[in-house]
Amino acid sequence: MTPAIETVTLSRSFGGVHAVDGASLRVPPGQRRAIIGPNGAGKTTLFNCLTGVLRPTTGRILLFGDDVTRMPEYRRARLGVGRTYQISNVFLGLTVLENVVLAIHGTRPRKWMIHRAVDRLSDTHAQALGELERVGLVHRRAVVVRALSYGERRQLELALAMASRPRVLLLDEPTAGLAPAERERVSELIATIPRAVTVILIEHDMSVVMGLADEVTVLHRGKVILDGPPEAIQGNAQVREVYLGRR
Amino acid sequence: MLPTVLDTFWTSLLIQILVFGLFALSADLLIGHVGLLPMGHAAFFAVGAYATAILEVRHGQGFALSVAGGLVAATLLALVFGLAVRTGDVYFILLTLALGNVVWGAAMRWTSFTGGENGVSNVPPPVIAGFRFERLDDYYYLVLATIVACAVGYRMLVRSPFGLTLRGIRESESRMRALGYRVEAHKLAAFMLSGALAGLAGILYIYWNRFVSPAAAGFLVSAEAVLMVILGGSGTVLGPFLGAAVIIVIRSYGSAYFVAWWMTAMGLVFIATVLWAPHGLLGVAERFRRGRRMEIAGGRLASEETRP
Repeated sequence: MTPAIETVTLSRSFGGVHAVDGASLRVPPGQRRAIIGPNGAGKTTLFNCLTGVLRPTTGRILLFGDDVTRMPEYRRARLGVGRTYQISNVFLGLTVLENVVLAIHGTRPRKWMIHRAVDRLSDTHAQALGELERVGLVHRRAVVVRALSYGERRQLELALAMASRPRVLLLDEPTAGLAPAERERVSELIATIPRAVTVILIEHDMSVVMGLADEVTVLHRGKVILDGPPEAIQGNAQVREVYLGRR
Repeated sequence: MLPTVLDTFWTSLLIQILVFGLFALSADLLIGHVGLLPMGHAAFFAVGAYATAILEVRHGQGFALSVAGGLVAATLLALVFGLAVRTGDVYFILLTLALGNVVWGAAMRWTSFTGGENGVSNVPPPVIAGFRFERLDDYYYLVLATIVACAVGYRMLVRSPFGLTLRGIRESESRMRALGYRVEAHKLAAFMLSGALAGLAGILYIYWNRFVSPAAAGFLVSAEAVLMVILGGSGTVLGPFLGAAVIIVIRSYGSAYFVAWWMTAMGLVFIATVLWAPHGLLGVAERFRRGRRMEIAGGRLASEETRP
């Protein structure tokens, strides 16, 4: 089967630093793939290459078999690549509902519409409420995002990514900085994402990884050092060694 | 309506308030929605005015074609200057400032086309379907109708999905890209719309003033637009007109006393606004209204507490 995402000896360097160094991965459609590795392993740089924020130095990226290596970010988004950010990147000065509406319109021509008020578009409105329902923020819809708690912003972050109806969803540390109860909530949310969506997530919390991932990729100094089912990764001596430097 | 009870001075003042209010509104599409600060917006105002004046005076063209020419010229200039939109923040401010000066320089030095310091004069009054808007009162109504139509259209635009897109860009360009928005295209469209509106203000100005000189392209005009927006209240339709009203009334009455101090006075008004009323006069009004409401609510709460 054609992988949802495939990278072929992907590299990206900043000056002399090889943030991603010849990484090759194949993520089949519908899989939940976790990417783990110590700080500075190149996880976020890999995401930025996959979404098109950064151009790879060398190597190729295939999205459902099509080469998207040089494709700009907005076009990849329209082809179904969605993402969340490690540090919440939401529209702070807009309301929760407006945030989701922007996410819904992003992949549609309707974003150019000028002759109708946005709050009169009943279908967009209904879909936005549905997305907020799913993450449990419906009661906060009229609130300006600046007034949301950190945890609520993380939930909104997920809602934005889901509202654009992605085929491949990249989650960059979705539970980072959350209290244990919120962590569990976000994990449950991710678990409810339909299997039609391929999910790749960067995560440090092993309990989250064990609960969600079908397969785990270990990144270290920009290289893929191991690939396998979560159980095999957890007991692996090499992985423990990689993390030891940090702990 | 109004002009029948007002003398020429006041009618003239009203026309200026409406014209410069529209000009400020055009700048506020960028300031209040896209989050960009244009410091050379007089360029579009002047190019609209000059193109229309030149078509009328030198080529003897009628009202419709001259207005269309002015609008096209301002919009095309915005398309070209739209390259500046590719940058943000301080670079945008500096580039628009520089481009504004380029237009001023052209108006000043390209004498054979612009008339240099003498400008273009003797612009005839507009003629629509045989009616000559010779009298100031008649022209006032033409301006008023145009402004009302623009304000209604503008309000529609900023409330539309396109308007929301612009505010999304203001809040986070990177997130917009990740959601599938081609940010540069939306910014360019907003810049061209803003330029066209500024050009229209310039056209309304030239039919009132009957004369345009390089001063219309000057930095002072650009700076005043920004001041009007900030003073009145950015991100609203009414704010820029309110700001224009305050500035123009003060200037018309005060110029007799402090013509040499006008720049200083404007600078002080600007500083005071930014320090004490960052959301402009409309923001002050809103705060006052909310404050009263809270006072009333507080009073009720207090009386409930003291109830036996």
